[in-house]
Amino acid sequence: MKDKVFFKGLMAEATICSYCGYCRSVCPTYEGVGWESCSPRGRLHLIRMLLGGTSLTADQMKRLYQCTLCGHCTQVCSTRIDLRQFWLEARKQTVSLKLSPPEFSTTLDNVVRTGNIYNYQNDERAGWVEYMDDPPADLYQRDRAEVVYFVGCLSSFSPRTQRIAESFVHVLNAAGVDFTILGEGEVCCGYPLLAAGMHDETRKVIEQNLERVRATGATTIVFNCPACRVMWLEQYARHLPGVRMLHSTELLADLTAAKQLPMKDVNRIVTYHDPCDLARNGGVYDAPREVIAAIPGLQFVEVHERRERALCCGGGGDLEMIDTALCGHVASQTVKKLLVTGAQTIVTACPQCVRMLSRGTEQTAPDVLVKDILELVAETMDRPLKKSQD
Amino acid sequence: MSLTKFTTISADRVTEDNIERKLYSRDMAFVPSIMVKPFFQTLPDAVIRPGNAEQVADVLRQATDERIPITPRAAASSSYYNSVPVHGGWVLDMNDLRDGIEVDTAHQTVRVLPATTWFDLDDALQQKGFAVKTYPSSAVSATVGGWVNMQGQGIGSLKYGSVGDQLVSLQVALPSGRGELQTITRESDLPLDWFVAAEGTLGVITWVELGIRPRPNAESHHLFAFDTLDILSQSIVSQARAEPRPYTIFFADSGYLRLLERSGFDIPFDLPQPTFPVSEKGLFLVSFQGEPSEISRGRDTLLHTAGKEMSSDLALDEWNLRLHHLRTKRTGPSLLAVEVWLPLNKLFHYLTSVKNLAERNRLLIGTYGFVVAPDMTLVMSLYPTDERQTVKYLAAIGFTKRLHDLAARYGGRPYGIGLWNTAYLPRLFSRTHLAELKRRKALLDPSGIMNPGKVYQASFPLWPITSVPGATMLGALHLSLGRDRS
Repeated sequence: MKDKVFFKGLMAEATICSYCGYCRSVCPTYEGVGWESCSPRGRLHLIRMLLGGTSLTADQMKRLYQCTLCGHCTQVCSTRIDLRQFWLEARKQTVSLKLSPPEFSTTLDNVVRTGNIYNYQNDERAGWVEYMDDPPADLYQRDRAEVVYFVGCLSSFSPRTQRIAESFVHVLNAAGVDFTILGEGEVCCGYPLLAAGMHDETRKVIEQNLERVRATGATTIVFNCPACRVMWLEQYARHLPGVRMLHSTELLADLTAAKQLPMKDVNRIVTYHDPCDLARNGGVYDAPREVIAAIPGLQFVEVHERRERALCCGGGGDLEMIDTALCGHVASQTVKKLLVTGAQTIVTACPQCVRMLSRGTEQTAPDVLVKDILELVAETMDRPLKKSQD
Repeated sequence: MSLTKFTTISADRVTEDNIERKLYSRDMAFVPSIMVKPFFQTLPDAVIRPGNAEQVADVLRQATDERIPITPRAAASSSYYNSVPVHGGWVLDMNDLRDGIEVDTAHQTVRVLPATTWFDLDDALQQKGFAVKTYPSSAVSATVGGWVNMQGQGIGSLKYGSVGDQLVSLQVALPSGRGELQTITRESDLPLDWFVAAEGTLGVITWVELGIRPRPNAESHHLFAFDTLDILSQSIVSQARAEPRPYTIFFADSGYLRLLERSGFDIPFDLPQPTFPVSEKGLFLVSFQGEPSEISRGRDTLLHTAGKEMSSDLALDEWNLRLHHLRTKRTGPSLLAVEVWLPLNKLFHYLTSVKNLAERNRLLIGTYGFVVAPDMTLVMSLYPTDERQTVKYLAAIGFTKRLHDLAARYGGRPYGIGLWNTAYLPRLFSRTHLAELKRRKALLDPSGIMNPGKVYQASFPLWPITSVPGATMLGALHLSLGRDRS
C-alpha cells in the first residue's frame, strides 16, 4: 500500500474524515475503553465539536488525551489523514484554549523547571555512569566528539532503564566509537511537552539542546529512545544540516555488519516488539532485526503483529500522566499477544517500551524477561556488564 | 426508562452522556440537521455496551417489556442510517462481542462473534491455514454481523457468492422471546435466510457460523487499461463468465481515477487534460486465487483481453488498495455516493449515461465496482461536495435520486436500505415480497422495537409525495451548484 498521508489543518481534515471506523479497529486505547468517544474517529469529532464552540466537560476532554500517539490510526486511515499530526495539532489548540487537562501540569512544569520529566536535579543526569565498572575520569563527557549519545530522560534517571544506557556505552566503547554524552547539559528533548501541545516550552528546550550539541562538533547524534529520535528528526534536524540522527539499532546494525562487536552464543527464544516511534512513526524496521539475526545461538520468533502492524506498549503520548490504568491495560494486552510466540524474552528497542512491557509481564508472566536490544547485545559481548541484567 | 433494572449489565456499560450519545447518532454519511431533526430522533436515550450474549438478551428483555426501540450497531460503516436510531431508545453497541474465533477444520467452518471485523477474521484464519470466502471492501472496520445484516456482496462474491450463501448457522436474541437466545440452522423451523439483509430489524445476532476455504496457495492480479467504456464493459462481461472464475473483478472509470488524481494520489495511467469532455478511459483488475494450476488457467483466459495490460507491480498496488477507495474523499472534502446492484449486461449503458450526465453538466462523478456474480455487479458512483456549505450539500444529496433513477433505468436497485433508501422500496421489493418481509417482522418483533423506522416502510418525509419533488428540485440545483469549477 502506498503510504502517502496528508494534513491540511484540523477543520479540513476533520471534514475529510469519512467516519469509516478503520482507525477504531486498530486503536489500543479504544480497545481498552470501549466507548466511541475514545476511538480516533470519535476523538476527531469531539475536536470538531470543540472547535465549533461546543463546551466539553473535563471527562470528555480527557478522551482527547487517552491516546498513545502510536500512529496506527494514520497507518490505516481510509482518507489518508495524518492522524498523529492531527492529534498533536489538536493538543496545541487545547493549550491555546486553556483546556489542557490539569494532570499534565505537575510533570510538565517539572520539565520546564528542571529539564527532565522526573523532577530530579538535572546535574544528576549522568549519575548512571558512576554505577558502571571503571568509568573513565571524564565520565564520557567530552568537549568534542564525532558522535553525541543523547541519553534521554528515561535512560538517564529511571533505575530500570539506566541499564540500557550502560549497555550502550559498553557497546560504543567496544566498537571504538568516538562519542560523548552531554551530562547535565542535556535536557529533555521536548517530546512530552510537544505531545501535551506546549509548543512555546518545547522551543526553549530545543534551543538548549541545540547549543550543547553544536558545541561538540559532532556529525552524528545517536539515541536509544525512539521518541527522542523522532523528536530530533522532526523538530531539530532543520537546525543541524548535515548531522546524522540515528537510533542505536541503526548504529548497531552497522557495527554488527562490520563484525565490530564480538558476540558469544545466547541460547534463548526471543521475540521482538517494534516500538511505535521507531517503526511506524520512525521508519526503522530492519535494523533491529539485523542485529538480532547477528547474535549467534538466538532463536528468533516473530510476533504476528509486527512492523507496520506493530502493537503499542501503552506508554506513549503522555498517556501515563493522564490514565495509568489504561496504560497498564494496553501493555498487558500487548504482552499477551507477544507471548503467543512462546518467547522467553521480549526484546524491544525503547526504554519506555521496556518499562511498560515489564509492567505488563509482572502479573501474567513473571518469568518472561523484557530487554532492550542494547542490553541483549551487551550481554552477548565478551565482557558482560557487572550489574544483573534481569 | 429503567436502565437500572438490568440483571447482568454493570453501570459502566451504560451511558446517558449527551456528547457520547451524539457520537452514536450518525454513520458514514453526514446529513444536515435540517433533514433530520424535524422528523427523526437520532439521539439515543442511552447507549449500552453488552459484553456477551446473555447481556444482549437482558437488554432485549427489558426493552421488550418497556417497548423501548433498540438499534444494534457495531462499526456503523454504512451510509443509510442502518445503525442510527430514528426513534431514540437504546443503541446497542455490540463491539465487545468480538473475536471468539473457533475453526472447525473438518467441516471448514468458523464460528465467530458478530463484531469481529472481516479483516481480523481473515487474518486469524490465514494463521490457521484458512481464509474467508468473501469480504466487503470496507473489511478493516465492517463486522461479520453487520455484513450478514446487509446484502453481503463484495470481494470474492463472484467466485463464492454472497455471505448468505456461506452462512451455516447463527445465534440470535429475539424480541418475540423476550431476548431468548436461539440458534438458527439450515434445519431450523425459523429460516436462516430471514436474518440475511434484515438490518437488525428482527433480532440481535450474537454469533455467526460461516463456511470458509483453505488459504489459497497462489494468487495473481492483472490490471488492464481501456480506451473506451464499450470495450471495458464487454471485457468485464466476458471475464465474469470465464472459467476458472476469477476471485474478483474490480473496475473503475475515468471519473474515479480523476477523483483520485485530484485527491493527490498516483493513478496507473495519465488521463487527458482538461477534465471535460469526460474521458472514456477505464481500467479493470482481475484477481485469481486458488491452486497454481487454476491461476495459470485463469491467466490464459486473459490472453485475448482487448485492453492494455499494465505492469504486475501496478496490478499488485491496485489489489493492495482494494479496501481504500475512500481516498477519493480528499477531493471533497465531502463525498456522496450511490451504491447499486446492477445487471452486468447493462454496465456499459450505466457507465455511459453517468459519463454523459457528468459531461453535460460539468460534474465530477467517479464510478467503480466489484463484479459479484456472472451477471451482476455492485457499482458505486461517487461525487465530491462540501458539507460545510449547507445549500450546496443539500442539493448534492438530492442528486442521489438522479443517479438512483439512472441506475433503475437499467435494472439497478439500491444496495442496502436503512432509513434513506426506504424512499426506493417499490424498486427493491415486489408488493408480495414486501408483505412477506412485514409478516416476518410481525412474527419475530411483534412490539416493533427492533431498529424501527428502517427497511419496511418509508417515513415522512421519505414518502414519494414529498421525497420525489424535493429530491428532484434539489438534484436540479446540484447541476449548477455542483459544477466543477477547477
